[in-house]
Amino acid sequence: MATATAVAPATSRVAGVRQNKKRYGGLRPWLFALPALAVYATFLVYPAATSLFFSFTDWDGLSPTYNIVGLANYTAMAQDPVVIQALLNNLIWTVVTIVVPVLIGLTLAILLNGKVRGKTPLRLLFYTPCVLPLVSIASIWGWLYNPDSGVINETLRAVGLGDLAQPWLGQDSTALWAVMVPAIWLRVGFPMLLYLAALQGIPAELYEAATVDGASRSQQLWFITLPSLRQAHYIVIALSLIDSFKVFDMIYAMTYGGPGTATQVMGTWMYANVFQYYQAGYGTAIAVVITVIAIAVSIPYVLSQTKEHA
Amino acid sequence: MTRSTWTRRGFLGLSAAAAVAGTAACTGTGTAPSGGTAASSGPASNNLRLFTYEDDTTIGLLKDLVAKFDSQNGTTTRVDSLPGSGAAVYPDKLRAELLGGSGPDIWRIWGGQIGAPFAKAKQAMDLSPYYSKFGWDSRLNSNAIDGMTFDGVKAGAPFVANAIGGWYSKAAFSKAGISAPPKTYAELEEANTKLVAAGITPCTLGGKYGWDIMRLFEYLLETSAGPDLHDKLLTGAESWDRPEVVTAFTNFKKWQDSKWLPNGALGLDPSDVETDYVSGKAAYTLTGTWTEAAGIQAAKKSSSDFGTFLLPTDQTPARHSGFVEGYMISSKSGNPDKAAALIDHILQPDSQKALSITASTVTGAEPDKSKLPLSYEWSEISKTSPFYTIQDQAFPKKQADQYFSVQSDVLQGKMSPADAAKQMQTVAAGLPKS
Repeated sequence: MATATAVAPATSRVAGVRQNKKRYGGLRPWLFALPALAVYATFLVYPAATSLFFSFTDWDGLSPTYNIVGLANYTAMAQDPVVIQALLNNLIWTVVTIVVPVLIGLTLAILLNGKVRGKTPLRLLFYTPCVLPLVSIASIWGWLYNPDSGVINETLRAVGLGDLAQPWLGQDSTALWAVMVPAIWLRVGFPMLLYLAALQGIPAELYEAATVDGASRSQQLWFITLPSLRQAHYIVIALSLIDSFKVFDMIYAMTYGGPGTATQVMGTWMYANVFQYYQAGYGTAIAVVITVIAIAVSIPYVLSQTKEHA
Repeated sequence: MTRSTWTRRGFLGLSAAAAVAGTAACTGTGTAPSGGTAASSGPASNNLRLFTYEDDTTIGLLKDLVAKFDSQNGTTTRVDSLPGSGAAVYPDKLRAELLGGSGPDIWRIWGGQIGAPFAKAKQAMDLSPYYSKFGWDSRLNSNAIDGMTFDGVKAGAPFVANAIGGWYSKAAFSKAGISAPPKTYAELEEANTKLVAAGITPCTLGGKYGWDIMRLFEYLLETSAGPDLHDKLLTGAESWDRPEVVTAFTNFKKWQDSKWLPNGALGLDPSDVETDYVSGKAAYTLTGTWTEAAGIQAAKKSSSDFGTFLLPTDQTPARHSGFVEGYMISSKSGNPDKAAALIDHILQPDSQKALSITASTVTGAEPDKSKLPLSYEWSEISKTSPFYTIQDQAFPKKQADQYFSVQSDVLQGKMSPADAAKQMQTVAAGLPKS
């Protein structure tokens, strides 16, 4: 009896292990994942954890020593007027550089999906800004915006609208908006490409049936095209949202956060503190906040993708 | 739930975690405090790296000089340069390199508050033994040495003591009916008025990084406050909330409102506009002697078509803005002795002349009057005109940026001169006690 009772749990354990192995795949999947995990851990997880640690210190970014200051860097952020301004600028940037490129990209995709002459070169033309180096774009647009000799003001003067000529990058009221224009220009191609791919997946029979039923073009757009692009909308908006909140390079290259602090965003303000003000502890605290926000906005996307593949 | 489904989900979960970590890494510093070792780590390495910000007009000269040193000393020295943005970007790159463990053995740097953090963090070594060994104390300008001495530690060897003055086009002045450079502040304002009437932008400066247009404000402050008070303001020993500072901000705004500065000056990149006085788009700029070789002569123009003048302050002594630049050696250099020997090689009078240094701190390396006549003029002016520390070296970077922000608000009319003076006092209150 005793033997029987001893054997039964052992058999049960073995069966459980086998069941778990069958269910989870045993060690083999982990062995395959190990190289990638090692890379992630070394180059991503470790630096991220290090950054988190330094956000609780007063490290200046150069000295070999530092003090632990607890949450002081985080409480200081609440009293930093530039952080408030940077957050507001991030919000404006995010809304504008998502909504406008997505709308333009969708419109272009719909137009270029039909029977259009020169479709291929046009697609290439609209997508080209996406592959240009950001610093080149910033330099080109910096020249376009030159108050005296830039093409934008020259054109305005040439057509009798000289009163509208502005020092676009040299005043608080226009600087952020002026930087957003090239950002929109370069980001239109990405949603256009995704929407084009999605549009080509919509069965032509749906449009044929709708036409037979007497649906107008706008009704077809509203009741067939847009609902069929639901998944593409989700991907485009989620990826654009994450990308927008991490904005740094365009502002750094075009205005350096100025005039004054008018175009500072969280990324540039973090950089200023870590690399220029020798306040690495405070700067990494800003980086942690950016990270937390970026994670928060990416969770719905990751969850949706996980569900989709479940 | 099938096994394969779980695996895909698990993979997605891992991807999500990686994405999260990636985001964190992208926004963090990702560096350890120890920094690591210099590129030339190892005992008495003969491999050196020198980091500088020479532009295309002078980097070749430096590389030639370094190659000569290498051939005589059995070293291999790599010279890297990051020209273009002045003190706005170069120190950041240097700092990142030092912390990343691939820092240079020798680097060029500005004095004052720009070089100070590297010395205070002991990334730069104390050069006192080499001052003794090579006799730099007696060969280099003592004021310049002070500019690279931090908390009593000689952390740098200065080779340039630059002076900021007015550099003008004789053709532009002539077209506006100006016969000679201004001798008083009133004459300078009068010249500006004549230039505007002649359709010429008087003074070309760009405010993108703050430091260029600052040269105008610091001049106006020297003019209204005088040498003694100006120096005390820079150290926080006197309050900025005073009439002299209000006058300086009022004049600063006047320069823009009167169109004495380029349209939209605040958004212009200094590197795009500094040589506008050479190309004929403006009459003059406020800059240093490097502009003769890098601006005038690089544009294939003759120095005789241009002139330079000490900005008139109506004060005694008549001072000018100035700053020093020099070389530091990494405390982690694999061969500091060879690095110091290379610096000494660069500090030889013949080397300084070969490098076309227009404001050398080295005795016997004054600019050649026949080749650089305007720079030579400045070497004479500097003998009688003392300098005050240029303000972006007088303030730590954080306070300097706050100061630039106040200037920006004044020029845009968002802040009155009186409020700007009050705000500057708040900025000055945050200056480190040391």
